[in-house]
Amino acid sequence: MMNRSTSGVRTTRAQMISLLGGAAVAGFVAPGTALAAPKRGGVVHMAQVADVIPSGLFGQNFPNTAVGGLIYNTLTAYDHRTLEPKPQLAKAWHVAPDGLSVTLDLRTDVKFHSGRPFTSADVIFCIKNIQDPARGSQLRSTAAVIGDASAAGPAQVKLRLEHPVSNLFDLFEIMFIVDRETLPDMLSGKNLIGTGAFTWKQWNPGDSLTLARNPNYWKPGRPYLDGVELRVIPQTQALLAALQAGQIEIALGLAPKDVAALRSNKSFQTLVSDTHGASFYVGCNVEVKPLDKPQVRQAISYAIDRERILKEVFSGLGVATSTPWPASSPAYDKGEAARYHYDPERAKALLKAAGAEKFETTLALNSGLGPGSPMAQIVQFNLQQVGITTTTASFDAAQFIKKLAGGTLPGLWVNVHGFGQLHPATLVTSAFPFAAAKNASNFQDPAYVAAVNRAWTATNERDQRAAYRQITEILLQNEFVIDCVLTSPSYVNVPALRDYTYNMFDYLNFEDASLG
Amino acid sequence: MLAYAARRIPSALVVLFLASIAIFAVLRLTPGSPAVVLAGPDADPATIASITHELGLDLPLPEQYAIWLRGIVTGHMGQSYILGAPIATLIGRGLSNTAELTVAAVGLAIVIALVVGIVGATTGSRVLKTLVVTFTTVSFAVPTFISGVVLVLIFAVGLHVLPPGGHASFGSGPLTALRFLILPAVCLALPAAAVLARFLQTSLQHVLDEEYIRVARAKGLPWRQILVRHALPNAFPGVVTVLGIQFGQLLGGAVIVEAIFAWPGLGQLILQSFVSRDYLLVQDLVLLSVTVFIVMQTLTDLAHAALDPRLRLER
Repeated sequence: MMNRSTSGVRTTRAQMISLLGGAAVAGFVAPGTALAAPKRGGVVHMAQVADVIPSGLFGQNFPNTAVGGLIYNTLTAYDHRTLEPKPQLAKAWHVAPDGLSVTLDLRTDVKFHSGRPFTSADVIFCIKNIQDPARGSQLRSTAAVIGDASAAGPAQVKLRLEHPVSNLFDLFEIMFIVDRETLPDMLSGKNLIGTGAFTWKQWNPGDSLTLARNPNYWKPGRPYLDGVELRVIPQTQALLAALQAGQIEIALGLAPKDVAALRSNKSFQTLVSDTHGASFYVGCNVEVKPLDKPQVRQAISYAIDRERILKEVFSGLGVATSTPWPASSPAYDKGEAARYHYDPERAKALLKAAGAEKFETTLALNSGLGPGSPMAQIVQFNLQQVGITTTTASFDAAQFIKKLAGGTLPGLWVNVHGFGQLHPATLVTSAFPFAAAKNASNFQDPAYVAAVNRAWTATNERDQRAAYRQITEILLQNEFVIDCVLTSPSYVNVPALRDYTYNMFDYLNFEDASLG
Repeated sequence: MLAYAARRIPSALVVLFLASIAIFAVLRLTPGSPAVVLAGPDADPATIASITHELGLDLPLPEQYAIWLRGIVTGHMGQSYILGAPIATLIGRGLSNTAELTVAAVGLAIVIALVVGIVGATTGSRVLKTLVVTFTTVSFAVPTFISGVVLVLIFAVGLHVLPPGGHASFGSGPLTALRFLILPAVCLALPAAAVLARFLQTSLQHVLDEEYIRVARAKGLPWRQILVRHALPNAFPGVVTVLGIQFGQLLGGAVIVEAIFAWPGLGQLILQSFVSRDYLLVQDLVLLSVTVFIVMQTLTDLAHAALDPRLRLER
């Protein structure tokens, strides 16, 4: 059972992140400014390499994380260190002991940008909307477990679940509460109406997006800023130049080498998100011989020099690992994360034992994935050192994803997956590379299916942890997804911009942000 | 003349129709679809299938083609699969921005070419001649993706006098719009200016060696009058032909410059829409290009026929 009150959670988290210092938030708030009173007014100019995709706001893709959290609120927001849900639009909740029903108490002082009050009907609408496969949400399988959602008055929602799930609050972390009366306008990018700190003002597709301060925001006195302007700058070099020239106050998605270079520049502050939500991995199609043998896949895992990839491709901004879980995950185990380390001799021995000392295969890569190509080059070199010759095949993003979803990528591939930063059950039920029933690697194992189901449906912590250990062991034994480096989005901003935050899915939040 | 036009226009429409089929077929034969882009890298096949259905991309291809063609004929270009915005608005804005950049670059190229070409053809100073040769060689040889970055580093990052990229409409203030326009226009104009200057210099030198120029000088006409009234008008025809060719190349070159300076023009739109397989938007953009080409060809044929009656009699 959980019961939470509302007092000042967002402020606390913003301060917590600014005070943490350390590796994850180095330089986020300059010493001495954290306690100064925030200045009201001003417009933040930010830029990223891709435009927002309004119709994709229910899916969990990169371009939308910059603005989704500015326009919309979610029901709850995780504490980054403990993954404990904190109130947002839901001010309290009660989970039945059998895990089959959840009651949400909603805030009563919230209005949409249109002026209409936020009620339980909006939550029910949003849950049903996420359940629609056409919305493309990766959390659809979790939403689908909600068999019935009913209103007990305007400020309370009762959810009946088909079976207990351990990752329901991942859904509440990610699901935007949208205005049910204007969904078509949202999907066409005409007007996005939420309850967030900023309102949709003007969108010039491919160029810029302007948001204005929501004067009726439910959090008193917030936001401090008058507005936010997002510019689309497709080239990372041009993005860097815009930041250096003072045209923008914050750059999202700079190349890792540029972020690393700017870390020592006192004119800028660098924040590497502590979510570690993007894992770069080498995938294996287990239907392609000799990749069908677990020993061969383990050999590949030992052959890959993860530290070199981390250093040369990501400029050290991340963590080399052999599991998909970041340190904040309840499934994380330090020893298991280091199980596969660079050991070419051991790789050769495993290949010999498997009767596959020398073979050729294909290494596919997504040309739209910036770090994919340099990472593939290192992997190709590493594999050559142990007797595996690879031919690279480059596909553009659309082709690559189609082949990935069809399980038809030939041999090996380099790609990125998300969701490791949330509840472990979410990764194995919602990220297609790991899905137990059908996945990109065509890996099937009844024991894996059973472990995933246990992790998803277990209601007590002991059972959950046992299931996580089992999943991690199956993943490491079978290595159909060879995780290499966990990375996070990087934000580089001018010192004048302070106190911006993000949730565990890296939705930016400017409600406490100000320009000094 | 009307009979000639009546013969010529239907054939243009047939070519346009065939082009529309080719555009549609080529795009659909290219692997990938907007549904997989919208679904993202972690999506499962069921989600992709649902989005495919939602977008109507699971309909038979002839039906999809008919829907697209009906939209074109009735003036409803539809909405972008990825951005969701009306395609007519996207194309209109991109076209206007690219035209703004190209016209500014052409104007700038002409001005630079006039100055450099005239100086190169008329100066007796070795230093000036060397400077002209250096300018034209460097401007022509350095690709725009390098000159663009250098311009940004000097004027935006170093001196902070101009923005490194982006676009502002003239409605937001002519001065602001000009500040955004200067760097991309200069970057785009430099190679064209170099070519034009070389042609002008050679052509002008040839004209200045003509006997009528020597006669004019012998008669004591002022040098400026000889240059402006007699030499330049006779040097221009060849240069104007080159200018026409350069204009087309500038439109093509604008794709790279738009990327460097984050200029939201047609080049960026085509590139991004193709990468994301935004079928309708790519189809409309390519068909628009083909239409412009066919219309120009038809108008040229009609103009030739108007000028030469023998063409009207040909079948």
